Amino acid sequence: MRKQNRFGGRFVIGLVFLFLYLPIFLLIVFSFNAGDSSAVWQGFSLKWYASLFENRLVMESLATTLLVSLLATAIATVAGTFAAIGIYSLTKKWRDPILVVNDVPMMNADIVTGVSLCLFFVAFFNGWHGFAEWFNSVQHAITLPEQLHLGLVTLILAHVCFNIPYVILNVAPKLRQMDKNLVDAAQDLGCTWMQAFFKVILPEIKPGIVSGALIAFTMSVDDFVISYFTAGSSTQTLAMAIYGMTKKRVTPVVNAVSTLMFLAVLVVLVINNIREMRQEKMAEKRASFEPVKPNPFIESIREKLATPQGRVFRRVTAAVLCVAFVATVGLLTAFTTSVPVVNVCSWGEYIDESLIDQFEEEYGVRVNYQTAESNEAMYSLLKSGGADYDVIVPSDYMISQLIEEGMLEELDYGQIPNYSQIDDRFKDLPCDPENRYTVPYTWGTVGIIYNAAVVDEEIDSWSVLFDDTYAGQVLLINNSRDAIGVALKYLGYSMNTTDPDEINEAFELIADANARGVYQGKVMDEIFQTMEGGNAAIAFYYAGDYLSMVENQADGVDLRFVIPKEGSNWFVDAMCVLKDAPHYENAMKWINFIASKECNLANMDYIWYASPNAEALEEYPAYYEELYGEELDEETYEIMAAPEDVLERCEMYVCLPQEARTLYNDLWIKLGI
Amino acid sequence: MSKELIRLSNCVMSYDDEIVLDHIDLSIQDKEFLTLLGPSGCGKTTTLRIIGGFLTPTSGDVLFDGHRINDVPPHKRMVNTVFQRYALFPHLNVFENVAFGLRMGQTVVEQEGGSEIRRKVKIPEAEIHQRVMEMLEIVNLRGFEKRPVTALSGGQQQRVAIARALVNRPKVLLLDEPLGALDMRLRKDMQQELKRIQQEMEITFIYVTHDQEEALAMSDTVVVMDGGRIQQVGSPEDIYNEPRNAFVADFIGESNIIDGVMRADCVVEIFNRRFQCLDKGFEKDEPVDVVIRPEDVDIVSEAEGQLKGTVTSVTFKGVHYDTIVDFYGFKWLIQTTDFCPEGSRIGIKIDPDGFHVMKKSQYSGMFGDYSSYSEEYDEINDPTLLDEEEEDAADEE
Amino acid sequence: MKNKRSLFAIPYVVWMALFVVIPIVIMLVYSLTTAASDAGEGLHLTFENFTGMFDYVTVFGRSFWLAIIATVVCLLIGYPVSYLMAKEGPGFQRVAMALIMLPMWINFLLRTYAWMSILENNGLLNQLFQKIGLISLYNHITGSDVEYFQMIRTPGAVVLGMVYNYLPFMILPIYSVLCKMDNSLIEAAQDLGAGAGEVFRRVTLPLSLPGVLSGVTMVFVPSVSTFAISRLLGGGTSMMLGDLIENQFLGGAYNPHLGAAISMVMMVIVLICMLVMNHFGEGEEQAVML
Repeated sequence: MRKQNRFGGRFVIGLVFLFLYLPIFLLIVFSFNAGDSSAVWQGFSLKWYASLFENRLVMESLATTLLVSLLATAIATVAGTFAAIGIYSLTKKWRDPILVVNDVPMMNADIVTGVSLCLFFVAFFNGWHGFAEWFNSVQHAITLPEQLHLGLVTLILAHVCFNIPYVILNVAPKLRQMDKNLVDAAQDLGCTWMQAFFKVILPEIKPGIVSGALIAFTMSVDDFVISYFTAGSSTQTLAMAIYGMTKKRVTPVVNAVSTLMFLAVLVVLVINNIREMRQEKMAEKRASFEPVKPNPFIESIREKLATPQGRVFRRVTAAVLCVAFVATVGLLTAFTTSVPVVNVCSWGEYIDESLIDQFEEEYGVRVNYQTAESNEAMYSLLKSGGADYDVIVPSDYMISQLIEEGMLEELDYGQIPNYSQIDDRFKDLPCDPENRYTVPYTWGTVGIIYNAAVVDEEIDSWSVLFDDTYAGQVLLINNSRDAIGVALKYLGYSMNTTDPDEINEAFELIADANARGVYQGKVMDEIFQTMEGGNAAIAFYYAGDYLSMVENQADGVDLRFVIPKEGSNWFVDAMCVLKDAPHYENAMKWINFIASKECNLANMDYIWYASPNAEALEEYPAYYEELYGEELDEETYEIMAAPEDVLERCEMYVCLPQEARTLYNDLWIKLGI
Repeated sequence: MSKELIRLSNCVMSYDDEIVLDHIDLSIQDKEFLTLLGPSGCGKTTTLRIIGGFLTPTSGDVLFDGHRINDVPPHKRMVNTVFQRYALFPHLNVFENVAFGLRMGQTVVEQEGGSEIRRKVKIPEAEIHQRVMEMLEIVNLRGFEKRPVTALSGGQQQRVAIARALVNRPKVLLLDEPLGALDMRLRKDMQQELKRIQQEMEITFIYVTHDQEEALAMSDTVVVMDGGRIQQVGSPEDIYNEPRNAFVADFIGESNIIDGVMRADCVVEIFNRRFQCLDKGFEKDEPVDVVIRPEDVDIVSEAEGQLKGTVTSVTFKGVHYDTIVDFYGFKWLIQTTDFCPEGSRIGIKIDPDGFHVMKKSQYSGMFGDYSSYSEEYDEINDPTLLDEEEEDAADEE
Repeated sequence: MKNKRSLFAIPYVVWMALFVVIPIVIMLVYSLTTAASDAGEGLHLTFENFTGMFDYVTVFGRSFWLAIIATVVCLLIGYPVSYLMAKEGPGFQRVAMALIMLPMWINFLLRTYAWMSILENNGLLNQLFQKIGLISLYNHITGSDVEYFQMIRTPGAVVLGMVYNYLPFMILPIYSVLCKMDNSLIEAAQDLGAGAGEVFRRVTLPLSLPGVLSGVTMVFVPSVSTFAISRLLGGGTSMMLGDLIENQFLGGAYNPHLGAAISMVMMVIVLICMLVMNHFGEGEEQAVML
């Protein structure tokens, strides 16, 4: 009967493990996928493993993750151990309140810890700014940096902050178990206090320290939320990089990295398990008074280690390990912080990454390339003081808002000769009428993307977004400006209207459809995976992204793109430089480099967004033919670079006044509720 | 008084290849105080757990009142246990710990149409209260009922454990080294207390210990075990005076165990010298083990002695001296009230009833002389604690 | 001597004051002021942020509701699994523990992302249902005409994501309490006449309560505050507290004052829950020490 029970129990446990490991299994399988989808199997390939080391974003964020985790764990382990010893030698009256505060970071939601630390750092930086200004003005011997930013240091501090409680939690029970007389006994036998500490306390609590350190390290590697709020703009952990990618498409390189990490940990665990099992057997034997046959090899090593030379050897090994740790940390530091001479913030999958290497090689300037989620998110980051970018690539309306708030620096066009190649259509834009702040990066249109395999009719109106024909199959863009803008266009208003009634009317249209269950979800870059896999029938998004989707669409999915008759939005994303950019000169070099015809061609080919470079735009079909040996069909080209007559139907966003922006935000949040 | 209550017949217990109990036969009488005595790993706790129902023997039968109870789960046996480390429920207070068994209800046996029907009946709260208080009275814990058990001293916890086990009015109480964690004084008190309770309640106690003094002081019957086998069953006097083999002789009290030869009935030869004894029934010239208790040896002058030797060490023990004497290279322990200085030559005399002759057994020759004797020796080697863990681990298998 | 050792506590007390207490105080200050005071008009106290929160009552409600469901589901799965595991042999237990910890080494975002491809309308699960004829069976029974089951972008998917990610946090504490539980207590209960059910109800369950409580905490708190899971699996249709807060700091609706206020409220609610639970579980905690 008992056997049967056990079998049933194991079955249940097995089911739970199946649940836990199913996604992991998938993830590992898709790291060997020949295509870059994580839903459609396109054949076996090792290419993601091969390209692992060339993927800068992944490698850099991995290095940051390891560096932060190693350092934070080391600091937290030492600090936590001493703190635990200190706390446990206090009287109960003092100890209990300290332990309560110690629990706070563990108990609190990560997001609250992250937010409070973020606010704290920013407040400190503000205070520091005032102090440094004053200090630099009263004396000139030492110049203190006036602007501090969130970055590696704050990230490590935050990690130490949430790691220490875990170390204390693990060390404390060992301290409680320890015989109170041990230290006295050691001192009685002639140890100094320090010796007693190293020879008695430390060995006693070592298991606790080790498990505390392991847990701290695991927590550090796995953490996303706290890092997200405290890392600022120019530092990115692997988790943050992945979060950025989940919006669009997680490159299977991440799967490959994770698979390798997973296997490494698995191997360590297996070895550890075998060792423990062996130890247990030994202990069993000892308990049953059977003589334990010592392993002659291990015995001989043990003997050798006991000799004076052996002791030297042990010390040397310990020293080598220490040096190795320091070297690893040093190398990782070098890797993550080595002369970051131009900080660029752009959107995910918005550049041909080989251009970065090319630039670095040509100019000897290191590019710290980061991505933001949306114009609004980037704006928040800039506002919160967490960013130290040089070059950003906002969209038109955001540019005018940034100019309005005095957050942009004028460009030195003398250093950007390639600006002359920009098509005149993209100069004198409404957002930068005097051409002082911007060099256009890409331009494009927004239109309806639909799956012709499901949708039988030819779609030519925004109405499909608001009526019930395709209820539950429509994806709404998760961005107030675009969503309400489209509704405004459908109603025949201007996308840039500031009339609250018109805006409200447009919003009601969406809210009503939402209440009727028309929308499957609100998405940003998640749209890629969803549309490619045929998981939704209708969405609206950027033309360039449509072309990427077509490239990756699954079998049986037939995506089409149309710019509805009511008209749509057309946009320009342009490179700008932030006020007080720390690397202005290098920023100019970067902008000039990217504005060149060659770069524009490469980018156009890679991201499918139209280039503002007149020659590049014209030469692209030829470039394509040369590269792929086949003609670029006219339709694709026209979707990419909308012809004049289509553009005439479209409207460009301008920056809305504060009241209208607030209205947009409030309405949008109402929809979310 | 004697009516057989429990019988173990041919019980074997083995884990994997390891045999823990090797064909045990044991009969336990009603209302007796029986002690299972032996060193660690001898199988005494296993035997107890088989009776308690926590283990099922690999083969053999357990009979209770003539019924086979091998497969009766513990909660249906009329047997209760006082556990090694008490196993008090830490989330309940003293009263609730004691009341635990009562709250489980009472089994009533009803005769219905010739067949017995057992039903659990809830015991009314008033009765529970009354019985718990009664029990607390017996164990001298009145007034402690509201205390959390975690706040009690070792002796008090011990009493709660006993009260908890007895409140169900079991036919048999099993006690697994219950006094192991108490200090000497408390131990002595509790021994008497237990004996008193047993007599007051008139039930069978089965007591497990590795402490021979405790066993001799409390028991009606002592069962000496080693290596998964019963070595001897008998009253404390029998066990002490008539050990069946060298193991029992050595384990119970101090003894000088000497190789000898039985030359004829009542004539035993040791150190090539013949002595009168009272033992009969051996073959002629059969090699035997001879036990001589240290207190049965009289010291006389060298000239008068049957054996002559040199004193190698003397320890004052209060009532007597422990004197180690070297006879022809074999060191004896002699307990005597006469002081003989170290190095002096003495003779000894042993009366015929001082000899106890045993057949040779597997234990012969395992116990040497007293050349490395020291009092702590046995205690240092006492592996009881290790033993517990080992058996626990075995149970979990 | 004793004093000397307690000196070690001082740096940590300073550290905690700096990195735990002051940040919370700053957060409190933020929550009691408005953006206007940023512009240098001096601090002025306002409860606007807190009163403004009533607009988001539904978000609070939804977050707590989904988190409670996820916690209950975790408990319902986690307790039996811990219980069964604790009954297994030491070798099995060690392997099982390692297997439960192991997924933590793959970032949770990535694992959640993998769920997306399982739950999509054309995802693996729907394909499976198609293959085994479940969908046509369903259509047959209900007379409907669906081609797939809508799983992703539903509150159910969010709960699934929470359960998936936080189940180990439920299993670990319960398991460690059950594992440490003295087997002789269970034997004692059996000995005193308790059957399997009663042993569980009267001994095992009350003694494992501290583990259950810490498991509940460790699942509930991250569930109620998650924003990544709800965004990935909920498809933005069901905004949660975490999304709301994130949106105030790094998202479109930049308003750190409101964000701080919401964080404050969340912290207070969580702390109150903890206090109540701790009070409730205090007796048991002592018990485990024994």
